[in-house]
Parts: sequence; C-alpha cells; structure tokens
Amino acid sequence: MKVGFIGLGIMGRAMSARLIGGGHEVYLHSHKPAPKELTDKGGRDCRSCREVASHAEVIFTMVPDTRDVEDVLFGESGVAQGLTPGRIFVDMSSISPIATKDLARRIEQLGCEYLDAPVSGGDVGAREGTLTIMVGGSETAFARVKPLFELMGRNVTLVGANGDGQTAKVANQIIVALTIEAVGEALLFASKAGADPAKVRQALMGGFASSRILEVHGERMITRNFEPGGRIELHQKDLNNALTGARSLQISLPNTAKCQQLFNACIAHGGSAWDHSAMVRALEDLANHEVGSDKRQKGTA
Amino acid sequence: MKIAFIGLGIMGRPMAGHLLAGGHELYLHDLRPVPQDLQEKGGHVCRSNQEAAAQGEVVITMVPDTPDVEAAIFGAEGVAEGLAPGKIVVDMSSISPIATKDFARRINQLGCEYLDAPVSGGEVGAKQATLTIMVGGSEKTFARIKPLFDLMGKNITLVGANGDGQTAKVANQIIVALTIEAVGEALLFASKAGADPAKVRQALMGGFASSRILEVHGERMIKRTFDPGFRIELHQKDLNLALSGARALKMSLPNTATCQELFNACAAHGGSAWDHSAMVRALEDLANHEIASREQKKGAA
Repeated sequence: MKVGFIGLGIMGRAMSARLIGGGHEVYLHSHKPAPKELTDKGGRDCRSCREVASHAEVIFTMVPDTRDVEDVLFGESGVAQGLTPGRIFVDMSSISPIATKDLARRIEQLGCEYLDAPVSGGDVGAREGTLTIMVGGSETAFARVKPLFELMGRNVTLVGANGDGQTAKVANQIIVALTIEAVGEALLFASKAGADPAKVRQALMGGFASSRILEVHGERMITRNFEPGGRIELHQKDLNNALTGARSLQISLPNTAKCQQLFNACIAHGGSAWDHSAMVRALEDLANHEVGSDKRQKGTA
Repeated sequence: MKIAFIGLGIMGRPMAGHLLAGGHELYLHDLRPVPQDLQEKGGHVCRSNQEAAAQGEVVITMVPDTPDVEAAIFGAEGVAEGLAPGKIVVDMSSISPIATKDFARRINQLGCEYLDAPVSGGEVGAKQATLTIMVGGSEKTFARIKPLFDLMGKNITLVGANGDGQTAKVANQIIVALTIEAVGEALLFASKAGADPAKVRQALMGGFASSRILEVHGERMIKRTFDPGFRIELHQKDLNLALSGARALKMSLPNTATCQELFNACAAHGGSAWDHSAMVRALEDLANHEIASREQKKGAA
C-alpha cells in the first residue's frame, strides 16, 4: 500500500521504519530531511505534507501537539491541499480530544476519513512494534488501517467515534500520573517511618496496591533511576490536555491538577527531562526526606 | 500449639477457625460471646484477655483500632497481666505504626516478643486463607509464627522491625485509595467527554495504566456496584493512620489528604458503608455527571 508518514522524531522514525519493513511504499516528510536509515530502506522523502498526501492512500502523522497537527493538515502546503476523496488521515500524536473532533469534521468535508490513534509505550514500544494504540473513528476506516496498526503495535482497540481515541489516551495519562504520585506518597511514608521501601514495595506486589507503576516506577524511585523513559515535559502536555479538557467539559479533576503542579515543581528544579517517576522528588522536597536515603547512608557507612 | 485469639469479628472469626482446623488449641475471647461454630470445633472460651494470655504460648489480637489493641493488651484484665516471659504477642489488627513501636517495647520489657502483622484481602481473604500478611519484628520470632501465618494467608513478608508491618499496611492503603481516585478521574473524564468508559477501561488494560484497581474497582464504577467489599469507613480509618502519621513524621501527603476529604464527602451523603470504589461518587457530584449514565439510559430505554 502507498502510505504517508509525517513527523519523523524518535517515535515517528521507528514507526515508519516498521511500515517500510512491512513491505509498504512509504512517503516521508518532516521539518528536517528524512533520516538516511529510512531512505536507504526505500522510504521516499517528500518536500511537503501536500506532496505526501497526493501520493498516499493512508497518511499518518506523529507530531508533538495539537497546533502541530493543525499545521500539518491545514497549514501552507498542508495535507488538506493534497487530499483526494477516499483517503484516510490517521493522527497518532497525543493531542486534544476536543480539537480532534473538529479536525475530523473538516477532513470528512473533503470526502476523506479521519482516525485518531494515539499510542502509549514510548520509544521502546515504537521500535519493537509493541505500542498500545487507542483508536477513534468509523469501523470501516479502522478495518482498512488495522493491518498497518498491527505492524506498529500490539494492543489495538477501537474505543469509539472520532476523539474517543484521544480521550482514552488522556484517561491513560491521568491514571499513570496519579498512580506515580500514589506510589510516591506511599514509599515516602514508608521510608520516613523507618521501613525499607524496597521491602515494602515487595510486600505490596500481588495485593490490591499492585500495578505496573508500583513495579516499574516504584523501583525507579528506590534505585534513584530518573533517566527517561517518559519525560516530565511530555507528561505535562498530556495533563494539560486533561485539565483544559476538564475546564471546557466543566468537571473537576482535583488530583490531576495537583500532579501537574508537582511536575511544575520538578521543572523549577531543572527536571523537564527527568523521567516522570521523578514526581516523587517534589514530594521529597516537601518532606525534606528522600526515599531510601537512610538505607543508602547505612550502605556507605 | 496453644494459641490465645482475641477479637472474633468478621476477620478474626474465620482466621481463628483456620488455626483450629490446623490442629491448634485455641483460647478465645471477645467483648461479645464467642461464636458457637468456634466452640463446636474445640475452641476454649475464656472470661478475659488475661485468662486467654495465661493459657496461650502465642497471643493473637484482631481488633478494630489502636485504642482497642491498647485496651486488649494493657487494659484491666488485659493480655499483659496474663503473659509470662517467652510468650509472643502477634497483633494482626491495622493500627498506628508509631503506637505499635511503643506497644512492642512495653511487651519486650515483660520478656516477651511482639510481631505486628496486619493483613489485606478482607473478609474473602480471611475465609479463604489467602490474606496478604505484612510483618514487623525479629527474624527469629517470625520463623516461629510463620506456620501459623501460613494457615491464614498466602503472601507473607517480613518487612522489617516492629512497626514496619503496620507501615507497609498504611502504604498499601495509601496506594489503593489514590489509585481508586485516579481511575475515578480518568473514567469520569472519558465519560463526560462522550467516550464509553467500559471501552476506555478495556483499551487501558495491559498498558502502564493497568492495575488491580482499574480491573476490579474500575468495573465497579462502570457497573455501579457499590455494595461492600471494603467499606469507606474502614478505609477512612487507614487514611487517618496515614495522615496522623504524616503529621507526626512531619511530611506532606497531599493526595492522601484529598482522598480522605472525598471519602468525607461520601460519608456526608450516607456512604460510610459503601464500597471504597464509590469515592468516584464524590467526583461525580463535583462534575454533576455520572460515569456511564449515557449507557444506562440507553439500556433503560
């Protein structure tokens, strides 16, 4: 199939490589010239989003934020100018669910289909083709694109209509942030009370407190490994989608708001590029105590 | 082995039953009459905690709260008056980690050993002998009591010294409450944004947002089954231990505090005996929107 891919950052590069590897003819565009590793394998570098859209039946985009998707679609030499009826535009970026509904409507007016298909699983998932993909759109468009999704990810779910994929991604990021905070408070309490947080984490695994976050991010907090992983500045963008969404939907998300503020405190201390598990550092600042520090002092004594 | 068992409520009664079934000789006491089924299985009825402690080599307590443990052990005709050097006191109640360290010290002064061994897993876990048991105390004492723990539970961890078992339990209850809140905010956001919360929950399982809480409590929120389960008033007691502990330890637990307040809001609406997953109702009140209300209306139409 002739496929377009716009946005060749850490994620997009790995994802488009998997489409090329799957035997598809892939038309590429990014701010910078397409990476050599992709053109060497047969990827075709295009000069504009419009050019990509004029060649491809299905056009993917993977860019940072809502405004970037708007630019790709409706900016100068954008996708919209190259589209002909019957094509499918698939936005795999993580952006506003509310803006997504509007973008989808405008693409449909051109006689084309729109899928929102944000992912979770990070750069590791992108390279290994194990991303979780949350899709919003029609069943027929989903069925046509599904074989391509399966080259990039493993858990692929059609959540509902346009926007619902982005909504699911926001829900995912709310839970991830708030569970990191929960594990942070619990391990900090345990450590400050004099217990070994590693032992406490171990005792809690398998019970009702168990989660992927306790497993992975809990361990990061204990071993002080804050190399990203999922960077705080990216998670902040997702929580911003949650909080501006909450404002326009008129609902309260009290702990999401607080987690965003804790991330702000991390950034105030130079932590934009820390792994999001480092949210615990903001709690540690408040407590004037570091998780596991007693143990480490004993270890070095 | 001769075992004194004090506190024969919803939890203590099946736990004592497992010890009897394991071939041990039990000396029972409760503020209320000793249940008939335990007497029929050979349990001896004692008139006081002192009398039970005088008979048992090991004294197990399973009572509601810190003052109850203090009264059972150090009150008039209490356990302390019946102890002789070499005996072991095992408190399986969920109480203050800080008070626990004091109780242990006072028991040690009588020439006896102390273990704090709170459980999670609820009434079902107690009946099925699948409790998670988090233990604080010496390795030697733990080794002696381990065969008894094995009759009552499945995941049994020696977390550290006295108090550390209670600390682990508090950490567990922090994570459980805050993850319920996280799942509540996420599903509420999804529902209010117009997505099907059941589909969103399904799309999120398996990724980084996955947890036992998303699985079990998330489903309760969608299906509106708030029969306990684990009652809000009991979880409030545990969060009180966390928050009064945090005050004594001089540390901030911002989201634990919010969750306690959301439980207060549930209690204000008559929800003390609702399952703790009903914390979402406080968020729903704030949002003036109920999760899955759309689906239910469709179902009813």
